[in-house]
Amino acid sequence: MKSVIYFLLGVLLILTGSCRKNYEAPVPYAFNNTPGAGHFVPSVRQSMEGVYAVSDGAGQFGGQVVLKWTYLLNGADTNHYLSIFTGTDAGYFNLEGNPKADSLVLNGYWRKLVNTSTGLVQLTVKSKHNGRLQVYDTNKLETADTLVLEGLYSNDKASPTQKLTLTYRRPLNSRPFSIMAHRSGGRTSDLLPVSENSVEMIKLASRLGATGIEIDVRYTKDGVPILYHDNALNLRLIQKNGLTGPIENYTYEQLNTLVRLVNGEKIPTLEEALETVVTNTSLSLVWLDTKYIGPMDKVQAIQQKYRQKAILNRRNLRIIIGLPTTEAVDQYKALANKDNTPILCELDTAITRSLGARIWAPRWTLGPQTQEVLAMKAEGTTVFVWTLDEPKFIQEFVSQNNFDGILSNYSSVVAYYHYSEQQ
Amino acid sequence: MMIHLRILVWITCLLISRSVANAQSVQRTDTVQLTPPPRGPYNFVMTVGSGLSFYSTHLGVPAALEQTHVSRFGVPATLRMMWYPDHRLRIGLETGWTTMYSYRGHVSGEPAHVYVSLVPILLVFSMPMAWLSGTERSIARRFAATVGTGVYLNHSRLDYLGTVLTNTNSLGWMAAGSYTQPIGRRLRVAGELKWYDAVAAENAAFTAEVQLVWRAFSW
Repeated sequence: MKSVIYFLLGVLLILTGSCRKNYEAPVPYAFNNTPGAGHFVPSVRQSMEGVYAVSDGAGQFGGQVVLKWTYLLNGADTNHYLSIFTGTDAGYFNLEGNPKADSLVLNGYWRKLVNTSTGLVQLTVKSKHNGRLQVYDTNKLETADTLVLEGLYSNDKASPTQKLTLTYRRPLNSRPFSIMAHRSGGRTSDLLPVSENSVEMIKLASRLGATGIEIDVRYTKDGVPILYHDNALNLRLIQKNGLTGPIENYTYEQLNTLVRLVNGEKIPTLEEALETVVTNTSLSLVWLDTKYIGPMDKVQAIQQKYRQKAILNRRNLRIIIGLPTTEAVDQYKALANKDNTPILCELDTAITRSLGARIWAPRWTLGPQTQEVLAMKAEGTTVFVWTLDEPKFIQEFVSQNNFDGILSNYSSVVAYYHYSEQQ
Repeated sequence: MMIHLRILVWITCLLISRSVANAQSVQRTDTVQLTPPPRGPYNFVMTVGSGLSFYSTHLGVPAALEQTHVSRFGVPATLRMMWYPDHRLRIGLETGWTTMYSYRGHVSGEPAHVYVSLVPILLVFSMPMAWLSGTERSIARRFAATVGTGVYLNHSRLDYLGTVLTNTNSLGWMAAGSYTQPIGRRLRVAGELKWYDAVAAENAAFTAEVQLVWRAFSW
């Protein structure tokens, strides 16, 4: 009798525990992407950027947030988006102005990257004058007035009902600092709405807090530089289609026709990626991570072509070739002409100096390396650290004020700690 | 479907572990005797089989393909080497080859064909079901449950603007139920229903096979 009970208990345990949970975090809001900024004219946008105190909603988003406007160029049109970085659970908001509203109204969604929490947000920009909230007008703003964003948020797709109030505290930290997003903006595994190393992710990167991106470059069988992180086609990155194995086994045409990234995008060529960076975004740095084994000349030619294009477009954009291994260093050394080919070295300081690299990027697990970092900076070398995702260490590295930039999968967290840092 | 089969595997494991416990308790009783009964016989049994397979999970066909034709059926082949001891739990190795699926179509008039198959390399445990009836002479003795785990070699072939052959490994498991009919002193014929699941590659197939079971060595 006892064994039957144990058996049934076992079956019950299996029944309740054998299901594999499928994690999803669909974006609950459909952006209108209306060109222009509507009521959010440049002076309004500029005045809104800053560090805000959270009163209503602090339990969900923490006591302090950072507000930053970004934009995306689409030909002659510009789309403006407001990002809010919470610093809690790698949270962020993506908002756009509501062109139909008479006042300064923002609609969008919030998301936490460490879990699947998401929801809708509606905020109205107001000013507090003599303790009373009123419609915000930049022309009537007095020195003692305070900006307040007031509105509602919800969980998932429910209509917003929970109160959210943000009150302006101080301007953003203006120290120059590179916030670089790993895998062109973020990882597919963090349930972002677009796939890593895709054109769509490059367009999203700024809204996640990035000022620069790292992209993973590989060659197809016929020598086309493309963006792909892993060394093989797998279900972590692509939709199921039966194709597996090293990406270098496939020609570009085969990949372009038959393979789609997990969110349905094509695997972009390096040229498509850089074209997007130059013509659509405000990103200021692209770090080309050398994942390929083979000649570097094609990547160098593309890097120089888009550097020229950025100069012609009056874009402040640096396109850097990353050297993560001694093999990559050898590939770089084999280049016939190294003029106008900025590099970033991930190896030790001696190799970095010997190569004349403009940027040294040690891995974060080696620690702050304060002496080496200061020595390299004294020599005029820019120093980045990678790939730092732990909020506690991001905060520590930002506050130490030694590094010139951080590469992270959570650029929203780096943005929060950098912009909210007290100068 | 996958969840239910997983449950079946777990239940089989429970039944096997309970049977092993029973066998051990019998052994403990035996140790009271002054002269332990002779062990054996032991057998090395080889099984070969084939039949029909059906790809039983989600499959993706690229949207760019036109005039697509998808096939989920295939002809599997199984080779299993088992050690049959003098108790019910048997252990062995299984390998073989099973078609998972294939699809064909055209892209701008150019033919495209993808074929996916897998080779299991599994450690398998098997147990006759006779103990359920409580008598060794029951017909249930001819029914057996088999579970296994190991590596699947996933093979894919693409024919589109050239041929690409690739292999990737995936951990996975299998579960099967069989009926075995004696046809000679050393030969038996069996029918087996089996579930192959290459978990990491998300490939899974249901197979129905006729098998020839040969008791190769006895000692």
